[in-house]
Amino acid sequence: MILSNLASAFIEVFALNNLLLMALGVAAGLIAGSIPGFTITMAVVLALPFTFGMNPIEGLSTMLGVYVGGLTGGMFASILIGIPGTPSAISTTFDGFPMARNGRPGLALGLGLWASFFGGMISAVILVFLAPTLAAIGLEFGPWDYFMLVCFALTIAASLSEGAMIKGLIAGAVGLLIASVGEDHINGAARFTFGFGSLGAGFAFLPVLIGLFAFSQLLSDLSDSDSARKPMISGRHKAVKLEHREAIRLNFMHWVVGLRSSLIGLFIGLLPAAGSSISNILAYDQSKKASRHPEKFGQGIPEGVIASETSNNATAGGALIMMMALGIPGDAVTAVMLGALTIHNIAPSPTFISTQAVLAYGIMVAYFLANFMTLAMTSGALRVFLLVTRVPLYILGVIILVYCAIGVFTLNNTTFDIWTLLGFGVLGFIMVKNGFPLTPMVLGVVLGPLAELNLSRALSTSDDISLFFVRPWAMFFIVLALFSAFFPLFQRASRLGHGWAKYYGAAFFACAGIPMFLMEGWVRSVLGAALLLLALLIAIKRMRSPVKDATS
Amino acid sequence: MKRLHRDSVIAVLLLLLCGIFFWQTFYIREVPFSEMGSEVWPRFVLILLFVLSIIYLLQSLANPPPESGPFSLAAWLRAYRNPIICFVMFAVFLFTLPYLGMLAAGILFVFVTQTLIGGASPRRLAMHAVISVVSVGGMWAIFTFALGVVLPRGEFFG
Repeated sequence: MILSNLASAFIEVFALNNLLLMALGVAAGLIAGSIPGFTITMAVVLALPFTFGMNPIEGLSTMLGVYVGGLTGGMFASILIGIPGTPSAISTTFDGFPMARNGRPGLALGLGLWASFFGGMISAVILVFLAPTLAAIGLEFGPWDYFMLVCFALTIAASLSEGAMIKGLIAGAVGLLIASVGEDHINGAARFTFGFGSLGAGFAFLPVLIGLFAFSQLLSDLSDSDSARKPMISGRHKAVKLEHREAIRLNFMHWVVGLRSSLIGLFIGLLPAAGSSISNILAYDQSKKASRHPEKFGQGIPEGVIASETSNNATAGGALIMMMALGIPGDAVTAVMLGALTIHNIAPSPTFISTQAVLAYGIMVAYFLANFMTLAMTSGALRVFLLVTRVPLYILGVIILVYCAIGVFTLNNTTFDIWTLLGFGVLGFIMVKNGFPLTPMVLGVVLGPLAELNLSRALSTSDDISLFFVRPWAMFFIVLALFSAFFPLFQRASRLGHGWAKYYGAAFFACAGIPMFLMEGWVRSVLGAALLLLALLIAIKRMRSPVKDATS
Repeated sequence: MKRLHRDSVIAVLLLLLCGIFFWQTFYIREVPFSEMGSEVWPRFVLILLFVLSIIYLLQSLANPPPESGPFSLAAWLRAYRNPIICFVMFAVFLFTLPYLGMLAAGILFVFVTQTLIGGASPRRLAMHAVISVVSVGGMWAIFTFALGVVLPRGEFFG
């Protein structure tokens, strides 16, 4: 059965039409990734309207091409000019740029390219094995557990908003509120229409998404008149020639760094709402800590580039696992893909891989292929991608604004959606300028209906509210939600040397161990017991260690 | 009493928003035989937003940002010149859409906005004109002929 589904997926993905669309997607992703200020999410969002007329595999393959191409393209500007093309390539600048400045831009780009490829491949293999297993676990979830999973996704999105957790939570709540405008999906009653007939169907997901992610981002980029008029990448990089052989050799030489960073990337991808902008910094930091010569990091060391680039590409696989197995977006890009699937009347959930097997395997095959295509296209046409970055931002920005309008119109053939785009563009711009993160808000819009549906199902099944707190999976997600919500407080307390911060880790393992211990099956019970034991050991160790004084 | 600053004002606006939306929940139609009424989820979200906004307000009052100079409209307009141009021109584009259609309104929007942001020297005007015709015309052609999407047609231009 699996083989026949896989064969069907191969046939669909390797159809000439699909290959051409994917190649276009990869090229668009490479270009978008290489332009500082443009994010991968924005590129995927802009590709979305083109996919309406395609079948789901074609549409998702194209978007996967943009996604993987964008993750790799982000390193061009990072290495050549020291400005990250995307947030997922921030730590690539730390060693990639010095390496290029030291006269080895070809090696730095080659290292990044092959590291991206290896990271993508590792996560693709794990995607194939882990997604069905996770989906099988997801089938155990009742509506109570699902509701708590959504709560966890929202709290983690907010807690990752550096220094602005309350603002992140507010943004998430506003997103939930936006999702509740229009006809209620369960009872069909109109809500918050304020007498406007156009609001009866609520806000379409795409205009909200493009408004928040693309429109507001473009306006932020255009804010500075001087930089808006200048080419994004100046100088001549025509002489750059990729040093493939040396790059492959170094990647194999530092395979531990690559593997560790891939696993970090994959894990971050699995966390709802956490994306490659976090994984690349975390992987870089871990590589530096684990290195025998950490002092060389930041001076143009190959391990720095490898860590950053393997992790950000591996994150994509983790995010796809979450999207396909549980219907929860692993990052902003997979949130867009969820929206794309919804347009095709497909809702990912734990049953997605079994009921839509060809499409699910098609996504996995397309993800593999996108990594190969990115490698081939970057090697062949690096110069072309760099040429685009010499166009002044204001020219590209204004053209994209019109394109946004056309793309949004094609969804429902109504100009109301373009007004929605403008409205949410303004809202997003104001929010960003006032320090409110947009990702929790978009997740609120995406996950709002899912949360309401599961809350309703849970209350219909039983009026026992305690089920939200005592079922093992629900309890597990509450623990994760609470500890992720308090994580910024812990970080601050840890810096200030507060005593309770010493026991945060132990408390987390203990609290996470209890629901795992209560779950069915001996494997999870053993894991739960191990976590409890670990918590005890950490607590004893911490009790014996002296309290750090913040002033010292 | 401490002077209200930007964060406090936003928090107060959020509280007002909560109030207005909560009041609106009483106008949501009641559905008989439903386990969970249509107003339950929005109220849950609004209570959550209310609590968070209160925390935000208290935080902003407890830790006010450092005093900045007096507000100057001219400086504000200078700082946000380009986004304001884009917003206004995009709104103009939407108002003219029913009359000019997507193609003409789009070309006009791209040309005027690029000129307002990028400058109006003869060379730039020519460049902006070519870019707007080629880019919008190209996209319009792709959607109209390749994807078969009927884009808005205007009363004056098709």
